[in-house]
Amino acid sequence: MSENRKKILDMLAQGKINADEAFRLLGACGEEGQENRGHEDGGKRGPEIKTKPKYLRVTVTPGANCPDPSHADRVNVRIPMSLVRAGIKLTALIPPEALDKANTALKDKGINFDVRNIKPEDLEDLMEAMGDMQVDVESAKGETVKVFVE
Amino acid sequence: MNWPPMLMHVKVKNERTDFGLWLPLFLLFPLALVVLLILSPLILVGILVMLALGQGRWVEFGFRCLWAAITSSWALRGLRVDVEGRNETVQVTVI
Repeated sequence: MSENRKKILDMLAQGKINADEAFRLLGACGEEGQENRGHEDGGKRGPEIKTKPKYLRVTVTPGANCPDPSHADRVNVRIPMSLVRAGIKLTALIPPEALDKANTALKDKGINFDVRNIKPEDLEDLMEAMGDMQVDVESAKGETVKVFVE
Repeated sequence: MNWPPMLMHVKVKNERTDFGLWLPLFLLFPLALVVLLILSPLILVGILVMLALGQGRWVEFGFRCLWAAITSSWALRGLRVDVEGRNETVQVTVI
């Protein structure tokens, strides 16, 4: 029992406060205690428990605007995240000359970005955060493209 | 622990053909190991020659490529690709 609750019950026993006031004060103490526990847990007890994404999914389906859904193309790709990670590690094999060429090509397109600054550790953080990502694209042909992780 | 892929299922269906193929990937690993053991003396000689010629970085690059290929193939388990066109359906599943 917390110190505050004890004090409230003491005050009630001594007749300094009535039962209603004690009830209200105890309720306030309870809410405060729950908030503190939430902070101590670092938000782990919250309703949103994040799980590590296992698969990257890409789907192409005929959308509502598709004129002929029965003849439309459908694509369903499920890529394990471990394969994505392995692919990211493959970037370490790209020779520096090729990265320089990529940088030059990006600069020609007006993008001032150095691809050598992308580190595998940064991509790992990005993948951790991908759990909340969902991309929905609806094309003019009526196809819906969805990219998400599960 | 991540298990390596055991089987690959390829299915192609169109107007002319309709076939499914089960590829036993688990049989490839012992086979690759045997091939590696047979070729190991040659590989060793090649490494020594490269090192003697001062081309050690290519040896390192080769090993890194080999490692990347192994880890990539190890991570294939769970891959699934379904493409359904107007007249053709292709499915690839790695189990």
